[in-house]
Amino acid sequence: MNAPSAAAHARWPEGRRMALVVTIDLFDDAAILVQEPRMQGRAKSLSVWQYGTKRCVDRLLALFDELGLRASWFVPGTVALGHAPLVRRIHAAGHEIGNASFGCENFDLLHLEQQHRSLLAAQETLAGITGEAPLGFRSPFGNWAPGFTRSLREAGIAWSSSWRGDDLPYFHPVHPLLPPAAGAPLVELPLHYELEDEPYFSFNLFPPVPVGQPRIASYREVLGNWRQDFAGFHRFGLCLPLRLHPEIVGTAGRIDMLREFLSDVLSHADVWPATGREVAAWWRSRHAANEPGHPVDVLAPLHQPPAVAP
Amino acid sequence: MQTTTGDAPQGLWPKGIRSSVALAFDVDGPTGGAMLDGSIWRNPSFFTLGAYGPWRAVGYLLDLLADHRMPATFFVPTWVLETWPKQMRAIVDRGHEIGYHGHRHEAFWQLTRERQQEVMAQSLALFRRHLGLVPTGFRTPSGDWGDDTIEILLDAGVRYSSSMRGDDRPYFIAHAASGRSLVEIPGRWELDDYASLAYQRNPDYPAGLDRIASYDTTFDNWRREFDGSHRDGLCMTTLFHPKVSGKPGRILLLERLLEHMRAQEGVWFARCGEIADWWRERHAADAEATR
Repeated sequence: MNAPSAAAHARWPEGRRMALVVTIDLFDDAAILVQEPRMQGRAKSLSVWQYGTKRCVDRLLALFDELGLRASWFVPGTVALGHAPLVRRIHAAGHEIGNASFGCENFDLLHLEQQHRSLLAAQETLAGITGEAPLGFRSPFGNWAPGFTRSLREAGIAWSSSWRGDDLPYFHPVHPLLPPAAGAPLVELPLHYELEDEPYFSFNLFPPVPVGQPRIASYREVLGNWRQDFAGFHRFGLCLPLRLHPEIVGTAGRIDMLREFLSDVLSHADVWPATGREVAAWWRSRHAANEPGHPVDVLAPLHQPPAVAP
Repeated sequence: MQTTTGDAPQGLWPKGIRSSVALAFDVDGPTGGAMLDGSIWRNPSFFTLGAYGPWRAVGYLLDLLADHRMPATFFVPTWVLETWPKQMRAIVDRGHEIGYHGHRHEAFWQLTRERQQEVMAQSLALFRRHLGLVPTGFRTPSGDWGDDTIEILLDAGVRYSSSMRGDDRPYFIAHAASGRSLVEIPGRWELDDYASLAYQRNPDYPAGLDRIASYDTTFDNWRREFDGSHRDGLCMTTLFHPKVSGKPGRILLLERLLEHMRAQEGVWFARCGEIADWWRERHAADAEATR
């Protein structure tokens, strides 16, 4: 069980055993205002999330520079407009900038047409700021309507990291009742909650975040979990997507935990550290379709539009 | 080894056996409340989160069990069997047992007698069609059942259940009216991976979004549960879920647990059906006594 199969061995470039993709949600206070509307007008609480753009992005950039690592940063259009020089600086440092909708919306509350407009507005905003149209997309709260895969492809999006259900990349099918879409097949790099910082650390006293006011997790134990998750992904030869938030993991006290984890991972010569764009391009060059019975293909004919109030 | 507690049972197990372990996994996949109310079809993140279990994690678990020569029991809602028959057939092909777990993980305690009968009949037809077998075990989805469920299970040919929480060794559940009985192999929340590792948003679990526990301290808890069960000569089963503890990092946690248990003398690693058969043969007099 320790040796990956021959098929797993040929899975990544240059005989590498696994892929590592570091993704950052540069959401500032945009996501928390959608998630918890009672935050509106509460300067102290909002400053918890605004701290990310103020201080923590710089810490992350310094760490990535030190490690020679490039990450994929997802930025909502509104955050990009509010922090254009910062976004330009991240882009100029060689990182990938991805689209995270225009207003960091919860797509469960939007019709397909509204989702489509949000995508295009953010695409235009980000291209205007960095001079490069994003190839990656993340739905901030994870979902989208049937038919939106088509919108993504037609907007030039090549990869997403929004859904779950696998530990290898997969292709999003176009809804079976819709005509074939233009553009390249859309690759998904699926997420895992245990590889996100937010479930372990997000905190606000009131309005309470998380809702049940759990304790902040032990940094040492979270580092231990991540190391063990890495050992599992390494053993099986998978694609490990880390999902981080500057205001959560880029604090003075937590950045060392991230440094320890990433240094450890990168000390393995058989790890392929890549951006989402690179992994998606690699996957597309090696695969034409999903394995039969893939969850995303099971879902496609059953997927329904969000129940949005008129 | 510490001394056993005062009321440690004697002679529960075959000669040379001190305690038994019936590893068990609930392959719920995306079934459950959100599928029963239809909301899962608008929630791709949640559907794919659940689907990971039968789609990927079962394969890792089967390799792990083979490495440690451990038999196990998998309780499978038949919607999952219908959707991923190849993955579920591998469970049987590799020597494990399959038991009933509803069709879409229905809460039996909320169903009419007729509806419970329909679910059992539908499951039986699908187990026959896809695997050519008739299960003898049942774990009630979500843990509770109705007053009429025992009779419905017995009429459906079920011989044992692993649904309750209130004991640490098997016992008989009598159906007084017909003189029949089920063997019950109770589980414990301490050995349910939902109590420590499961996490999801929209719908939120845990309800208050408590943190994912440390793998290291979770291993320590589970190891202590086994040590106590073994010391006192009991029967330990698990409520593990492939989508929760069959993920890559957690396979390593289960591996530590299996290695620890394998290193002890006198453990009977058995499928739930074997435990139930032994219990019925060896302790039939108790079944009489409960009538």
